[in-house]
Amino acid sequence: MADQGDRVFCHACGGVWLLDTGEDGHDNSQTCPHCESDFTEIIEIPPDSPQPEPAAEPHLPSVNPWADHNPWAQQESTRPQTSGWMESGSPGYSHRSYRSPDGRFTFSSTTIGGGYSSRQDAQPNPMLPFMVQSLDTLFQGLAGTHDGHQTQRGPGMNVHPYPHAAGMREPDVMHDPFQAEDEHARRHEGLYPHDTNGPQDMTAPLQTLADLLEAFQGISGAQRGTARNPAENPFAMLSALMRNNDAVYSQEELDRVISQLIDHTQQGTAPPPASDTAIQSLPKKKMTPQMMGSDGKAECSICMDPVELDTEVTVLPCTHWFHFDCIKAWLSQHNTCPHCRRSIDLPGVTSTNTGAGTSENPVVIPDSPPASPQRQRRRSSPFTSRSIRSARSSISRSSHNSTSPEMGGESGTRRGSRSESSRGGITGWVWSRFGGGGGASS
Amino acid sequence: MGSQKRIAKELSELVESPPEGIIVELADEANLYKWKVFMEGPEGSPYQGGKFLVNLTLPTEYPFKPPTVSFGTKIYHPNVTNDEKGSMCLGMLRADEWKPSSKIAAVLQFARQLLQEPMPDDAIEGRIAQQYKNDRKRYDEIARDWTRKWAVSE
Repeated sequence: MADQGDRVFCHACGGVWLLDTGEDGHDNSQTCPHCESDFTEIIEIPPDSPQPEPAAEPHLPSVNPWADHNPWAQQESTRPQTSGWMESGSPGYSHRSYRSPDGRFTFSSTTIGGGYSSRQDAQPNPMLPFMVQSLDTLFQGLAGTHDGHQTQRGPGMNVHPYPHAAGMREPDVMHDPFQAEDEHARRHEGLYPHDTNGPQDMTAPLQTLADLLEAFQGISGAQRGTARNPAENPFAMLSALMRNNDAVYSQEELDRVISQLIDHTQQGTAPPPASDTAIQSLPKKKMTPQMMGSDGKAECSICMDPVELDTEVTVLPCTHWFHFDCIKAWLSQHNTCPHCRRSIDLPGVTSTNTGAGTSENPVVIPDSPPASPQRQRRRSSPFTSRSIRSARSSISRSSHNSTSPEMGGESGTRRGSRSESSRGGITGWVWSRFGGGGGASS
Repeated sequence: MGSQKRIAKELSELVESPPEGIIVELADEANLYKWKVFMEGPEGSPYQGGKFLVNLTLPTEYPFKPPTVSFGTKIYHPNVTNDEKGSMCLGMLRADEWKPSSKIAAVLQFARQLLQEPMPDDAIEGRIAQQYKNDRKRYDEIARDWTRKWAVSE
């Protein structure tokens, strides 16, 4: 059972130990027993791949000062090692998981490392594409480099060349100056059993784009030779991306990432604001009895204030109306009707429409105020519903023949009024023409 | 401010004629933007018999920005986060779904409706949603348990 327990890897000192599988849960034992750091990670070994470790482990008993702490390592190291493992360095797959300190979040990832290599051992099939092996090598290099960054400096630091190949020592993680090299190697073995650390120079770690391209060259012959260049930046960027994006190490971090994502989503899908001219050019009209509710009352559904008869309101193309100030506040955030969510930028009812254009489109006319009976307006008395009705029917009947001649005769006036207030449609024209709505419409 | 007027109006409407199973008050008499809502678990749901505190927070931009709703009482529900925040995920409260013409009363009624009929496909607690879909009996059991444990005051 002890062998099957979770192993924990310490990112601070590189130690690996068996998780205490006591009754009281795992969390309390996730602190590194060596350096007390809690920057640790559970490494799980899938039960159905019992031999992924041999390649990585053979040196442990002799060189690893902590080998005694790790019963698993000893046990594993007794297993036979094949040269095939070393070359491809790929066990079946490795499963990694990260558990947040309070245990509420667990990240896990399964790396399919070298299913091919093990199969290769079992059935030395000449048909096995050489490409697969090369890709394998490639991914190992990637993983190794990535791991190197994480292990040595922790998250958030700049990408630097992989020091492993150069045998660079790292004073900050050194425990025993004489064994730094071995520790380094062992760390990688602990985290990535498939890493080719045994004979270290058998697979050179990939660190530059050139290395990547070289690996690809091995696959596809010399075809890619021309694309070779020593640019390190693309790969450095890739590495940085991988490191920064695929792991967060605290719940706060995770929350932050999630809320960022939510914010992005919301900003992404919310309707965009309407333009100021579009808002300004929305038609206005006075409340008519028809617009009142069945109980003779009406309220602006934004401020929820009651709206009295004859109050001037702003009407959207969908015929929903609001106080101008209310709808302006909303439209300057989203260009949809707050009630039915229809866009205010409907074709045919845009601010560029002229009176001539909408006179062919009588849809807006029933919504326009009773403008033809100029006398009634001058009386400035509240309309009776009867007079309004007759006015409405008369305007729809007379809109063409009554307005058209005037348009011809007084085009100068009309043009002036149109530019002065860009209210669209016949409504706007009629309003400016007859001064409808008193002061509010001027 | 316009928003205060509207909020006050909605509050008085809710206090005068509260919707079924919903009692509303201000968390702090001096602050119109924080409401305490007591929501009775709907009959027939595993939350029946429980009384859930729901905190409703209105943004200063209300009604142009949606209110936020969170459960102050622990509740086992696919659409309520199982943490100290108890955030409730309501589609109509998402910034891109919100309409200023929605009233708080509607929001609260919708929230209560969600207790009756969780929306596992829009869940925030995926595990509970799975259970709701696949093992309703167990879900009912736990939800009832939690209701008894957290939402029933002696």
